Order: sequence, then C-alpha cells, then structure tokens
Amino acid sequence: MNIQALIQQRPLYFDGAMGTMLQSAGLEPGALPEEMNITHPQALIDIHRAYTEAGADIATANTFQANELKLARSRYSPEELIAAAVRNARAGGARYVALDMGPLGQLMEPMGTVSFERAYEIYRRQVAAGAKAGADLIVIETLSDLYEARAAILAAKENSGLPVLCSLSFQQDSRTFVGCDPLSAAVTLSALGVDALGVNCSLGPVELLPVVEVLLRHSRVPVLVQANAGLPAIVNGETVYNITPQEYARAVAAMVGQGVRIVGGCCGTSPAFISALRAATAHIPVRDIPLERVTAACSGSRTVVFNGRVSVIGERINPTGKKRLKAAIRENRMDYLLGEAIDQVNAGSDLLDVNVGLPEIDEPAMLAKAVRAIQGVVNTPLQIDSADPAAIEAAVRVYNGKPLINSVNGKAASMAAVLPVAKKYGALVLGLTLDESGIPATAEGRLAVARKIVDEAGRHGIPREDVLIDCLVLTASAQQEQVSETLRAIRLVKAELGVHTVLGVSNVSFGLPARELLNASFLAAAFGAGLDAPILNPLSGRYREVVDCFRVLNNEDKKAARFISRYAGEVPAAPAPAAIERDLMQIIMEGRREEAAPKVNELLGELQPLDIVNRYFVPALDAVGADFEAGKLFLPQLMQAADTVKNGFEVIRARMAETGEKREPRGRILMATVQGDIHDIGKNIVRMILENYGYDVLDLGKDVPIAKVVDTIRGEGIRLAGLSALMTTTVASMKETITAVRAVGLDCVFFVGGAVLSPKYADYVGAEYYARDAMDSVAIANRFFGHK
Amino acid sequence: MPGIDKGEVLRYLGHRGQRIDPALDRLIDEEIAHCLAVAKPRTVYRVVDISLDPDGAPRLPEANLELPGRAIRRYLDGAGRCVLLAATLGTGIDTEIRMQQRVDMTRSLALDAAATACIESVCGDFQREIEMTAGGAYLFAGTRYSPGYGDLPLTLQPELIQALDTARKIGLTCTDSMILLPRKSVTALIGLFDRPPGAGVGPGCSGCSLRGRCDFSKCPREPEHNP
Repeated sequence: MNIQALIQQRPLYFDGAMGTMLQSAGLEPGALPEEMNITHPQALIDIHRAYTEAGADIATANTFQANELKLARSRYSPEELIAAAVRNARAGGARYVALDMGPLGQLMEPMGTVSFERAYEIYRRQVAAGAKAGADLIVIETLSDLYEARAAILAAKENSGLPVLCSLSFQQDSRTFVGCDPLSAAVTLSALGVDALGVNCSLGPVELLPVVEVLLRHSRVPVLVQANAGLPAIVNGETVYNITPQEYARAVAAMVGQGVRIVGGCCGTSPAFISALRAATAHIPVRDIPLERVTAACSGSRTVVFNGRVSVIGERINPTGKKRLKAAIRENRMDYLLGEAIDQVNAGSDLLDVNVGLPEIDEPAMLAKAVRAIQGVVNTPLQIDSADPAAIEAAVRVYNGKPLINSVNGKAASMAAVLPVAKKYGALVLGLTLDESGIPATAEGRLAVARKIVDEAGRHGIPREDVLIDCLVLTASAQQEQVSETLRAIRLVKAELGVHTVLGVSNVSFGLPARELLNASFLAAAFGAGLDAPILNPLSGRYREVVDCFRVLNNEDKKAARFISRYAGEVPAAPAPAAIERDLMQIIMEGRREEAAPKVNELLGELQPLDIVNRYFVPALDAVGADFEAGKLFLPQLMQAADTVKNGFEVIRARMAETGEKREPRGRILMATVQGDIHDIGKNIVRMILENYGYDVLDLGKDVPIAKVVDTIRGEGIRLAGLSALMTTTVASMKETITAVRAVGLDCVFFVGGAVLSPKYADYVGAEYYARDAMDSVAIANRFFGHK
Repeated sequence: MPGIDKGEVLRYLGHRGQRIDPALDRLIDEEIAHCLAVAKPRTVYRVVDISLDPDGAPRLPEANLELPGRAIRRYLDGAGRCVLLAATLGTGIDTEIRMQQRVDMTRSLALDAAATACIESVCGDFQREIEMTAGGAYLFAGTRYSPGYGDLPLTLQPELIQALDTARKIGLTCTDSMILLPRKSVTALIGLFDRPPGAGVGPGCSGCSLRGRCDFSKCPREPEHNP
C-alpha cells in the first residue's frame, strides 16, 4: 500500500532522534554524522531496526545535512552518503525510507548570502541522489525559512515523483527563527502541493500545541508532528531533555485526537518513545477536521488574510505614465523602485503590486529582479503583475511566500498559460472578468466570466479561496452607465461565488477633473458593494481617509482605536505660526530633514537645480564634514545633514525628470562590498554622501562576485571604484578583486575602506587610496575628478 | 530582556563629548526602544573539560576543538573547565537595520549601535549568571574570549557553532568568510577558575589583532578604547 493511502486509514509513525543514538554508537564529537553511513553501516542498521521494531513505519535516512555545503570538507560526496544511508535504512527493515533534508546550515538572501538558485541546486543534488537510491518519500525538516522550504520543495517536486513532507521548527513565540508564523507556513506549504506539513524539533509537544492547532485549522494536507522530548534543560553544562516516553505519548496522542496524522520524535526521543507513542495512538480513528478556508497572501514573515477585512494594494510600482520609474527600469536601477515600495508600506499598504512592463526590456528577468530586491527591504506580500506568463513565472519562482498573481482572465489562452503557474508555485490568482468577447456589459456577464475562471482554476487544482476576482472599472467619462454595473458585479460575484474581490479604482475618473475626489467616492461605493481589496495609490490622503472610515464602519477597527488615534484632536488647519525663516545652508547643517524638500521647492522658483546643488548642498556638506573631521560633530550628526540633503536631492531629481533636463554628474563611481563580506552599512554611508555631492554611484551591493566587479568596470567604463571589507578574512577577497581588474588591463583607480583597513592594508591589496571615512572618500573623488 | 546602556550606544556611534541636540537625543532613545522591541536574544552554552597537549596547547575534546595560538593558552592558563557560549539577537534586528538604511541613515546607524550594545548586554548578563551560578564548582569566570581576539583564529567559528549546534538551537550560522549570521551575534569561550584568573589575560586592547589601527567606534569589546 502506498503511503498516501495508508495515511487515510491510521496514524503514520516516523522514528525518533538520530543524533543521540549515533553518539552512543560512537560518533566522535565534531564528526559529520552522515559519514557514519559509510564508516559504521551496522550501527545505522541497528538504529533503524530498533525504531522499526518499536513501531515506526518510516525510517528517516541519516541524510539530514548530506548537502554540499556541510560536506565541503568531507571525503565523501552527498551522493555516496545518501546512497549508503538509504541502503542502511532499508536493511534495518523499515517499511518506508525517507530521504531527510534539513537546513542548508547557512542563511538565504536577504538575511544571508545563499541565493534561491544556489539553494535549489544544493537540494536538487540531494533529491536526485535520494531518488536514485530508492527512497520512498522525502522529508524536509527543521527549517526556519519559508524561502529555503520553497527551494527544497521545488527541487523535490521537479526532480522526483516522490511524496514530499515538510516541517518547520517554531520557537516559543510561535514563530520560526526568521519570523515565519504557522498560518503562513500552512497556507504557503499547502498551496505548494506538499503531501503533509508540520512541525519538528525546538520544543516539546506541550509547547508546540498552539502552533499545531493553527496548522490543523489551515492546512489542506495531513499535519505531522515530531516534537522534542520536552524543553531542553542544561545540566552540568550539557543539554538534556526531561519528559518520559509516557508523558510524550500522552501529549502527542491528544494532538492525534485533534487531527494530527503523522507523528514521530525529534531531539531526546528514542525507540521507547516511538513504542509508547504507537501504543497510545494506534486506536485513535483518523479524523477529518473541518478546514478553515481563508484567502491569504504572505511573505516570508507576514500574512495578509483577506477574510473579514479590507486590504489595500499599493499600485505605484507600475511604469505606466511614470517617467522616473520608466527610466529607473531601463537603467536597471532598483533604488527608485525600492523607495516607492517603502513609501507605500509606510502609507499603510497591505500588499504591493509590482509591474515593470516596458516594451524594450527583458521583462521576465526584470520582474524577477524587482521582486527579489523588494522582498529584501519590505515584508509586505507582493502582487506579481504582468501580461507575460513567462515574466509571472520567473517572478513567482523567486518569491518568498505566497504571492498574488495579477492576472488571468477568462480567455482560454490566458487560463491555459497562467493557472498552471499559479498552481505550481502555490500563488493566489486574480481573475479579470473579460474574455474573448471583451468586457461583458452587464454584471451578469461578468459573473459568468468569473465563474468560468473559478471553475477552470478548480480543474487545475486551485481551490476557490485562492482565486480573487476583479470586476473591472470603466471610465465614468466614456461609459458612465457602466460604473454601476461594476458595483453590481461585485455584489453578484461575492454572493454567487463566495470569492474575494479586487478592483483598480482609479480608472473610473479618467478624463475628469478632481480625480481623487471621484475615485474616493467610488471607492466608498465599492466598499459598500463588498469590495475586499482596492488597488490604489496609498499616498493619496483621500483614499486613506475612505479606507480608515470604512474600517470603522465595517467593524474592523475595533472600538475605532486606530481611527481615533489618527483623527482625534484634528482641528481645521490654523494658519501656521510664522515659520522661522531658515536658509537652506542652515537647514542642512542643523539636520532639519523635514524642512529640506519645501525649501528646495521654493528655491527652484528662482534657481536652476544644479545651482542649488553647488550653492547650498556642497558648501553645507563641506562645512559639516569639516566639523566632523575636527571632532566637533560625531557620525549621527553628519548623517542627519546627509539625510537632509538626500531629501532635498529627491526634489531636484523629480524636477529634472519632469523637465527632462540631463545633469552631467560630477563623476561616476562604482562601489561594492567585496565577495564574502556582508557588512555594508559603512559602504552605504559613503555612497550616500558621494551622491549628496552629486556623484553618480553605481552600487553593486554586498558580497559582490569578483567577476561582476570586473565586468561592470569594463562594461560601464568605470575609472574610480570604491571597495569595502570589514573582516580580515575578506580583505583577501578585496585584493583578489583589484588584482583581477588589473589582470585584464583595465585602467581603474581604487579607494578602499572598512573597519580593518589601514593605509598599509590599502597598499597590500593594491589600492591607490585608503579612505578613512565618508568625507575622506569625497576628498579622494574630488581630487580624482579634478573638483577643487 | 537585557538593558541597553545609552552611554555604550553613544560610544559605538563615535561620541566623544560633542553636544547632542534634543532631537538627536530623542532619536537615539527611540532607536534603543526600537531595538528592544525587535531583538530576540537567544543564547546556548556548554561547559566542557580542558585538556592540554604535550606542548601545552589547550584543547576541548568534548567539543572537538583545538585552540591554537599563544593568547588563548595564556587566557586558559589555570582554568579548570571552559564555557562555550553563543548568543544572538536573531534576524529581525538585521532586517530592521537593512530596511531603515533605505529610509533614514541616521536612525539605521543608531539602531545598529543600539543592537551592538544589546548583544554586549546579553553577553554581560550571561557572564554574570555564569559567575553567580555556574561554573558549578568553580569560583571565578574569566572575561569572555572570542575567535578573532589576539591570535585566536576566526576560522574556529564554524567548529564552535557546530559544537554548540547553534543553527538548530538559536538560529545562528556562519558564512564561508567566517561571518556570523544573524549579524548581531557573539561566540566566545569563558574559562572557569578556582582562583582569580591572572591579570591582563582579559580581552583588552593589548590582546587585540587590531591594536593601534582600529576605529574605536566599531569595537564592541573594550572600554579602554574610550578616551
């Protein structure tokens, strides 16, 4: 009988701890446990046999960290150790053998340095080896990062036909080490199509109960629990686990009674635990638990549930009609995009739409790049927006969590292209109510298209709660009679199909004056019709007021607490007290950042943008910089001035984008934190100050591969480059980078900085200049480019 | 939750008596509070025996650690056992610092300094606890000593975190370049002694490989830096 069938009949039993058993079998401290598969096969066979005899159905092969990162210094390859592990497990008499895949042992981007592709490739190797060795299933366990889980699951599903189980480790705050909560785990992993999901390690069964209850409510697949033998305690300086097999079995049996289907043990458990567990649970009938169906999008550490509340989707990352965004996308620069993302999140967006569609770019690559960059700076779930299914797939693949795809429509071709992508990557999908014959004129017509999409999604295995519908707004100026049909369609779709609705509201006012006013009124009406998630510009105050009000009227903002905190004491704007007139120089030097933008705006009435830079920004920074060098100011004060200039510069950039004026930069500088190093706050400070002085900085980021520095210097014709490293261990990488640039004959001057750097080190790595701090970097750049 | 000493935060920010206006002062207080709200301090430790090689080099057999270099030999001289410690504030604070850099560099810098003070404080609390309770039979604990101090190599980092199983226990990892992630983390050895440890074996500037060319503001270790 296969394992999926068995699980419908009775609880399924994993084995217990491996590490402690290996230690008693002679594992040396510090040795790699996986090597024992080859060096001590009999010990492994005996352990597996003991667990099998205790009642385990599944033997977990000793492959937890048989990955190429962990085995870098081993004399065995992952393939050799995995083959031996599966063989040993089989020889121990197990009914089923699971290939075990634990965490990579290093953190993934953006917290660490391992990319999604690298993680996928490492897991792929393990999966291929496990499948070849004849494993019956794959268990991915002890993970903290949903991103890592996604890489492992995709690797497992794309490279084997085996059942895939995935369990994460939660701490006492009901989150994983990197902040994933059980609801996110349940909805994301279920939708990715795992065969079971659950928890293991970190806590005992009693402490895990609250997490398990959430998983049971929201998982669409069987839930598995492999707890530790209680909370760890430290006795005589060593970790021990305190509960008895009977106590463990009792606690887990209660969970089985609640609907947990697969059980076993983790740290501190032994065959005695498994045998007690089997005795305590074998009689418990399999119980189907009612699933609490929610529509939820999530990032790696944040979930947005659409049920019972309205959610705002920020629309600003979309180049249509936005010159600066278009330019940023064409120039392959993410900063402007990231600024838009952060502004929208700070303005209260629950999700962000991401669209980078421009005719002349490689949209799949760009959309994936944008998604990676944005999820590195905000934890708001994303709505992946493209008309190109290839771009959607590229982006949802590297997304961390459960995204919302915008969009599919009722055309057969669209559904055939987009729905399989949504299914494979476990995304929510937004269906537009249009098809081959266009947008139906009536609400009933749109309902019919919506129904077609929901049904077709169902045929692809996408449950109804993962489909949202956009009933489409037409403009009041051209098709006035259609506006109320949209509202009627929302009501119908919600009543008939029970799905959540999304609507891009701003279209309605196209071609009319006072657009925000009309949009806000329409938004209120749409909320009244049952709209769940408007796509809008969250920076608009009018929208925000409507949303805030509706959250009170809709009983979401309990006791109107948020509303009161935001609006209480609001009085009609009194004439502001005569502001103390400050010179822009003074504003910068005193670090009054809020005053910079209005002042620059005012000055733009009489001065050219570049005059402002030269007459105010540069002298003010020079003065602050001199005080800093002299020790009269300390770093945060220099930064306040720099933050103030940055705000002022934003106004100048916006003005120049408007007028199309091209600024000749003061000079172009490449900056990078070298390969292997991830400390970049110092580099970012230097970059900001150089930009404040009008330099164009091409920032390659941190942990930058040597080849990328070489290629960029060559491709962009860079003549001055700044490198930073914080660790003695990464100074070597700095030297290699500079050597590689010189080796291909590029004429580029380097300045270097970072905590461990010194003039002597600068000389050692082959750099022309040592930059002590940010102001020193400015002096070097000024000298290099011949500015005063 | 550990306390954060504002004086320490200012020291990491390179403050040397400059006048601080009320707005900046408030900003620093806010970022200290921000740090305390986000940080999730976790520690893991073991106490292990020390054995000496024939040439006198210390090793920790239970943890499979050899401790090369003169500095650690001096540090552990006369110690009965050794505590292995790892502490971290978790990834959340790294994420906040990273996000904040995009919006407000001043705040990001203050938050970064607050987090450094915070992990120091976590280690300080641990040190006091060990001194009071532990070492068990031992009366004195030395000041903690980390890879990278003196001539104790950073390459010890992966072995140390493996011996403590930090990835599983507290979510602490190490990159190929020996960088601890999450960023605000510490690994250390603490010698346990029957009598007060010898003077001058603490992790002072004298034992530091950066002596004479470091930036005080970046040094998380040593009060004597502060002029």
